[in-house]
This record gives sequence, C-alpha cells and structure tokens, in this order.
Amino acid sequence: MLERVSDMMERDLILVGATAVEDKLQQGVPQCIDKLAQAGLKIWVLTGDKMETAINIGFACSLLRQGMKQICINTANTDMLAQDPKKAAKENILMQITNASQMDDMKQQFLNLAVDCASVICCRVSPKQKALVTRLVKQGTGKITLAIGDGANDVGMIQEADIGVGISGVEGMQAVMASDFSIAQFRFLERLLVVHGHWCYKRIAQMICYFFYKNIAFGLTLFYFEAFAGFSGQSVYDDWYMLLFNVLLTSLPVISLGVFEQDVSSEICLQFPALYQQGQKNLFFDWYRIFGWMGNGLYSSLVIFFLTIIIFYDQAFRVGGQTADMAAVGTAMFTSIIWAVNCQIALTMSHFTWIQHLFIWGSIAMWYVFLLLYGMLSPKYSGNAFRILIEALAPSPIFWSATLLVTLACNLPYLAHISFQRCLHPMDHHVIQEIKYYKKDVEDRHMWTRERSKARQRTKIGFTARVDAKIRHLRGKLTKKHSTPTSPS
Amino acid sequence: MSLLVVTSNSRFTQQELPACKPILTPGWVITAFIFIGIIFIPIGLASLFASENVVEIADRYDEDCVPSIYASDMLAYIRSSQTNKSCTKSLTVPKKMKNPIYVYYQLDNFYQNHRRLWEEVEFSLLLVSVFPDMSKSRSDKQLRSKANEFETKDCSPEATFLVSNKEMPIVPCGLIAWSMFNDTYGFSLNDKAIQVNKKGIAWKSDREYKFGSDVYPKKFQSGVIGGAKLDENIPLSQQEDLIVWMRTAALPKFRKLYGKIEVDLEANEKITVVIQNNYNTYSFGGKKTLILSTTSWIGGKNDFLGIAYLTFGGLCLFMVISFIFLYVVRPRPLGDPSYLSWNRNPDGLFAQLRCRFLSDILCAMEEF
Repeated sequence: MLERVSDMMERDLILVGATAVEDKLQQGVPQCIDKLAQAGLKIWVLTGDKMETAINIGFACSLLRQGMKQICINTANTDMLAQDPKKAAKENILMQITNASQMDDMKQQFLNLAVDCASVICCRVSPKQKALVTRLVKQGTGKITLAIGDGANDVGMIQEADIGVGISGVEGMQAVMASDFSIAQFRFLERLLVVHGHWCYKRIAQMICYFFYKNIAFGLTLFYFEAFAGFSGQSVYDDWYMLLFNVLLTSLPVISLGVFEQDVSSEICLQFPALYQQGQKNLFFDWYRIFGWMGNGLYSSLVIFFLTIIIFYDQAFRVGGQTADMAAVGTAMFTSIIWAVNCQIALTMSHFTWIQHLFIWGSIAMWYVFLLLYGMLSPKYSGNAFRILIEALAPSPIFWSATLLVTLACNLPYLAHISFQRCLHPMDHHVIQEIKYYKKDVEDRHMWTRERSKARQRTKIGFTARVDAKIRHLRGKLTKKHSTPTSPS
Repeated sequence: MSLLVVTSNSRFTQQELPACKPILTPGWVITAFIFIGIIFIPIGLASLFASENVVEIADRYDEDCVPSIYASDMLAYIRSSQTNKSCTKSLTVPKKMKNPIYVYYQLDNFYQNHRRLWEEVEFSLLLVSVFPDMSKSRSDKQLRSKANEFETKDCSPEATFLVSNKEMPIVPCGLIAWSMFNDTYGFSLNDKAIQVNKKGIAWKSDREYKFGSDVYPKKFQSGVIGGAKLDENIPLSQQEDLIVWMRTAALPKFRKLYGKIEVDLEANEKITVVIQNNYNTYSFGGKKTLILSTTSWIGGKNDFLGIAYLTFGGLCLFMVISFIFLYVVRPRPLGDPSYLSWNRNPDGLFAQLRCRFLSDILCAMEEF
C-alpha cells in the first residue's frame, strides 16, 4: 500500500546530483602495513563491515592485490576447509570469512588454512568473535599477537591479545583505556614496533642477564667465605656495604642501560626492518646467553674471592708490618667487586651519553666517598670500618694493585669473547654499526640503498609486493617479446 | 642545550642525546690487550722482586715445646699449673735482615671469625657447653669508655661477676677477649738479650678511639688457669697486645703482630728464643708458629701478587698474538655488507638481479 502511494508520488523527478560518504583510511596506513609486513609480521583484519566493504579496504591498504587467489568461506561452503590447506595455500591467497559464528566446530581446520595464507580478512565479526579469533590464533599457533583497534567494539580483542594497542581518536577512548599502549594514529604503530619494540627487547634482555651476573658475582663470594669461617654465617662484608650494593652502588648504571641503550639509531631501525627479526627469533634472550652470563658471574666471583684472599693471605700487607684483618680483607674484596661489575656494564653498552658516564664512573666514585665518610663516623656507628680507607687501605700499594688485577682478570675473558664473536660471527647490527662508523653509507649510497631494499622479509602483501609482482609481470612480458623473433618462423 | 628541561619534545625525551658509540674494532682490541700486558708485566716483576727481598723465618713450636713425657697427653700438660711451660729454641738467620724486623705469632685452625662457637669453652673453671656468639662475644662499647662499663649484654658467658651479691661487669668481657693469646717470646743473640718493642703494634685509630684511656681491666681471666693476664693499672688504650688480638682475623690461619726488633740481624747468626708455651691450642688441633719477617713496600713475603700479574700479563700478550693471527688468517673487512644475514644466504643470481632492479626503482621513486 505504501509502495503504491510512493509510486504515484515519485514521478517526473529531475536528477540534481549525487552525494557519497567516504570513510577514508587514515593517512599513512598502506605504508605502515607495508613496513610491518617487511618486518615479518602477519596481518589479519577483523571488521564488522560487510564483505564488499572489507574487500575494498583490503585493496586500499594493499593487503590484497590483483592476482591473489581468494578463498571465501561463508556459511554455505564450509566444506572448503576440509581440503588440504597446503594445497590451497600454494599461491598468494587471501581468505575472507563471513559469519564466523558457524566456524566453532572447525576451529583447527580454519586455523591451519588461515596461517598459510598471505592475509586474512574476517568480515561481519562481532566484538566477541574478534576476541575469540584472537584467542584461537594465540593458542593455536603459540605466537605473540598484537591487536590494534580504535572503537569500543575492539576492546575484547585488545584485551585478549598479548599486546593491545588502542588508537585514540574519533571513536572515543574506550579502546585506549583497555589497551597496553595507546597511539594517536595507526601509522605510529610502525615506529612503536620497529623502533621501540626492537630497542625494548634488547634493553630488557641485557638488563636481566646483567642483573643475574651482578648478584651472582656478589652473593657467591659470601658463600665461599663460609668455608673459611666454619660455615657459621659470618659475613665478610660490613652490613652497610651489602645494603648499599644493590641500592646505590650498582643500580644506577643498570637503569641507564635499560632506559637509554640503543644498538642502532631509530632511522636505521626504520630503514632495515629485518633487524626486527632479531627479536622475533629471540636471539638475545635464549638459554645460551642466560647461562653464559651466569657462568660469567660464577667465574667473576671465584676470581674476586680467591685472588683477594690469597693476595692478603697471612703476611703483612703494608710496610708498617700490620696484617690484614677481616674488615680490611672484606673492604678490599668489595672494592674489587664494585670495579669489576661496573666495568662489565661499560663493556656491554654500545651507546654512551653523558648520563651513562656519570652513572658508571659516579657509582665507583660514590663507593670511595661512602667509605671515606663512613670511616669518619665514630666507631659507635662504623665499628670495624672506622677510618679503614684512610688509615689502613689507601696507603697500602697492595690494595690498589689487587683492585686493578682483580678487575681486569674479571673483565678480560668477556672482552676476548665479544672480540672473537664480532670477528667470526658478526651479527647484523654489528655490521651496520661499522658501516655507520666508517661512514660507508655516505660514500657508497648505492650499496646502502641496495642493502636497505634487501633487508626485508619476502612479503606477499603491501605495496612493495605489488611493485614486485608488477616487475615480475613486466619481465615476463619482456622475455616473451625477445624470444618471439628468434623462434623459427 | 636544554638538557635538564624535560619537556615532551626535548632531546632527552626523544632519546636523541648526543652520544659516543664506540666500536670494538681489531685495532682497539689489540691495543687494549697490548696496553694491559705492557702495564702488568713490570708491575708483576716489581712485586715479585720486592717479595723475594723479604726475609722470613718461621718456626712451628707447639709440638716441639711439649716435653717428651707429655707427648701422648699434651692437653694435660697445657692445663696443669705445675708443669714448666718454658721452652728454648734456636733460629738461624738465612740472610741479612734489616730493622725493623717484625715478630708475629701465627695460629692455625683457629676460627676467630666464627659466628658461633659450638665447642666446649675452656676458659672458665666450669667446663660448660655453651653456644655463645664467638665473633659477636665482645662489647666494643665497653672498651671505648668507662661510662659504658656495664654494656656487657653481648658478652655472655664472660660478662659479669658477683661482688657481695651485686653484679659487676668484667672488663674486657666476652670470649674474644678471654681467648687472648698469651705465649711470650724472649730473644737473645750470643747471650745478649734483643729488645722487642711492644709499642706501636696496634692501629693508631684503635688506640685512640676504640679503646678508652679511662677503661681499666677488672677481674679479667680471674680464676682461669693459664689464661692471659692484664695489668689492672694500665688503661686499655695502652694494652696493645689486647688491642691487636681484638681485631678479628679473616681466615682460620692468621698472624698477629707481637712486637718489633729494632736492630739488624746478620746472616747465619743464631738467635735463641725462650718461649713461654702457655696458650692451649691442643684441645682443637691448632698450630702455633713463631715468625720473624722484614717488610718491603708491598708488605710481607707473598709471591702470589707478582706471579699473578706476570701470568695475566703473559696471557694478554698471548691473546694479542692469537688475535693478530686471527685477523691475518680470517680477516673480516669492517662494514662489509656481505656479512649481513640476508646476504649470507643468497637465493640465487636471479634474486640478486631482481633486488638490484628493485632498488633502482625504489631510488627513482624516492627522488619524486
């Protein structure tokens, strides 16, 4: 009835014009996706839009391109999954899944097919399904997942993933409040991952290994002393030394390592996405490194303890004929530990600002200043450490030469190890550091650009892949053109 | 350069502080090892030379000084107050010893650094099994001034004594003080006595600050057979034997300064020592040794420092040679891009050509 009325009214209308609404992609999204793909990340899109919209978005941000084999899975043809996923994934494929709710029973088959595809787009996904798909990928593949979204419908997915990134903007702040990191635009994700992710991974790995080393080197000397004190629990160090060890004397350099360390600068991280693979392959926090650092700590503790004990053994340690008591031996040993541990972190760092210099050398100086001030307090507070530096230890040449010997004995094996490693098995960031140091990137721009183009994973998505495919196409046509005149007519 | 102004866009927050990024090149490695080797070897030689110049005479006497009739029951000998504890030994000077010559007593297997003493304590009339804190069984407060006389709570069991039913403190109290070494040595050369200077053997800070000049010994080792005696008229700040003893030793084998001989001793001279063998080390299997030693700028005789420096210096020079060998045999040109991981496994010539072609295109694209 209403149709008939409108049929009668809408006659002889004049078309004036047409309007359209475009929900544009943010600026820089295709380049960002390209860079992330070059860094070796697999990218899936989970959207609530319908299939045609999702396909258009895929083309717009270079997730899809002409020539890719498309696999569409919707409620109708679930038998697609039963096929051998390897066969289906031979070429560059993309998958589109509509109405994912029916897929509950076939989760594993779906996952097997999906992980072999170049990119996956899920359309018409509800917020709960976004979270479920994320969980499926996380648990099924065991890989680290990152979810990024900007609306309230992405909150489930953001919280489910290992790392959740929220984009603050037009859709409100719900995604931001639920996320681990929040950024203002999608394109900042590239910098977040490739620069800061790379740096953070290395900083945390180095920090943790160094912490183990430092505390093993210090704590084991206490245990060794017990063998000489009848296992009675007597500590060779004054209580204040042990208190200040982790609080003031060795903590500041580690903080500066964790906050400021950069193996390569941010421009290089962006130019060489392959460096991101170092984190994905977990090259810096594997068991070999952890046990290596622990072994270094064990070796240092043995060297520090036994060299100090045997040097200060039972004979006089000064020209005045005095012998070294427990306070003198303990203080000398502790001085060696402070030097050895701080010089070790100086060898580990590769990026020295004024802050690192201040903290490392300042920590060592602070130890001597502390000893001086502590010794000046009345014996009521300082006990056996009263005037130990100025009266007993500082005038004795053995104290200073023992410190020098022990420090270098602890650090030289590590120096030899890293020198050998840099010579025989240099890692990528070593070579790049050398190129920058000798300014070879400025001298030989061609080489530098060539390496940058090679420093990426072979990708199937992103616009460089599109360019790649175009080149293949063109070369194919060229070779065909050249071969036709020579063929016998 | 507003380094300390931390705004959201300063060089500090953007992590762009000026930095030096040292690289471990072969040049630096070899330089470092050579430098260390060149410094260590002379220091090692100097230390070894100084240690070799020190002349030391050591003589263990705890077994020699027990008369043969008591050889099977040394404990009874040392505990009895009737036996003659005097013992004479002869020492030969191996090389000329210039004054001052330091006299030490060395104890072995004596855990002065033990936190708790799980043995019978023999220093009082009552043989009591106690578990006192050994190294903590002392009261440094009490030693500093007379006002702290009653600070004996850490000292048990040697803390107080009863005087007409009122508890008076023992000064100095505690096991560390009560286990004081009390053998004495008298030296003579050709029947002429050699003076041993017992002043100035303790640390100056101990004498002036830790042991008060108004604190006098009281009831020290009273009722103990064979224990050390302190003159009750001399203040603690002048009782240098006690002061030297009260410094806890680090290891179970330690030496403490007994005195100084201020005359030269020529080579091959025979010194006669009369030892009063009072101290009981027999109950715990300890050893007693008398040491005479000169000192050099590094102190007493210990070759280890010199040998350690020479060893490490030698190792560094060996590392230099091996690194030079390595850099000659397997040189790696620095900054050579063929060592990058994506170049070490090339996909084949076509891939390289494609890459070069692609990079040319990318270059062209960048220029627009």
